[in-house]
Amino acid sequence: MADRTADPRSLAAGFGRLIVLVYVVFAVSAGARALFQVATKFGEAPVSFALSAIAAAIYLVAAVAIIRGAAGLALAAVGVELAGVVAVGALSFAVPDWFPEPSVWSHFGSGYGYVPLVLPVAGLVYLLKRRR
Amino acid sequence: MIEWLYLAVQAAALAMSAWFFVDTARSQRVGRRHLVGVAVLEALLLAQLAASIAIVPGEAGGGKALFFSYLVTTLLVPVAATFWGSIDRSRWGIGTVAASGLVVAALMLRVHQIWEFQIHG
Repeated sequence: MADRTADPRSLAAGFGRLIVLVYVVFAVSAGARALFQVATKFGEAPVSFALSAIAAAIYLVAAVAIIRGAAGLALAAVGVELAGVVAVGALSFAVPDWFPEPSVWSHFGSGYGYVPLVLPVAGLVYLLKRRR
Repeated sequence: MIEWLYLAVQAAALAMSAWFFVDTARSQRVGRRHLVGVAVLEALLLAQLAASIAIVPGEAGGGKALFFSYLVTTLLVPVAATFWGSIDRSRWGIGTVAASGLVVAALMLRVHQIWEFQIHG
């Protein structure tokens, strides 16, 4: 497999490759789950399920932006993601009535092993380091 | 779901992940021995899928479509990660495949929960 090697300067090379894998896994798993929830039981927890769908869309944008090398868009997506997980995480503790069922970002992503909180921080550190 | 097979998959996924992360620290490229490691994990996952196809449809509970969609997704993750990781020249090529072992363990935990609480329970 050594004949197919990627451009080492690309944004998706090196540590970026691991980040893209995690983003794609989260876009697919959170996205499929949110679509299923919105389609079958949206009325039970509309805020949670809508937020999960938005989170999945942002994961997808971040993954595609890193793969395509769009550094600005990647930085914007990861920034929105960090703001989202912090805001929704705080809201889920402040107004639990809005979250009868958890969203991806509820309680700072505790349902997903806090990866939703760690991922944007790791992404931001990586993208800002690459910019210099 | 066969309990010992589930535990074997978890052990293999975590062992593969630990081994590959050690090779990440040693800056190894993705090599043939790594492909053998991924193949062992895939063989166990395929055995789990075959056993589930035999057992799950006969159970009374719901959530079977969810169960199989998770299980098939789990099966695809290490394969996709191996293709995606092996085109990288840096240490993070094998690091990406190492991370996929943790993803498999997390997804299998979810598959096992669906089995315990919805299908078999």
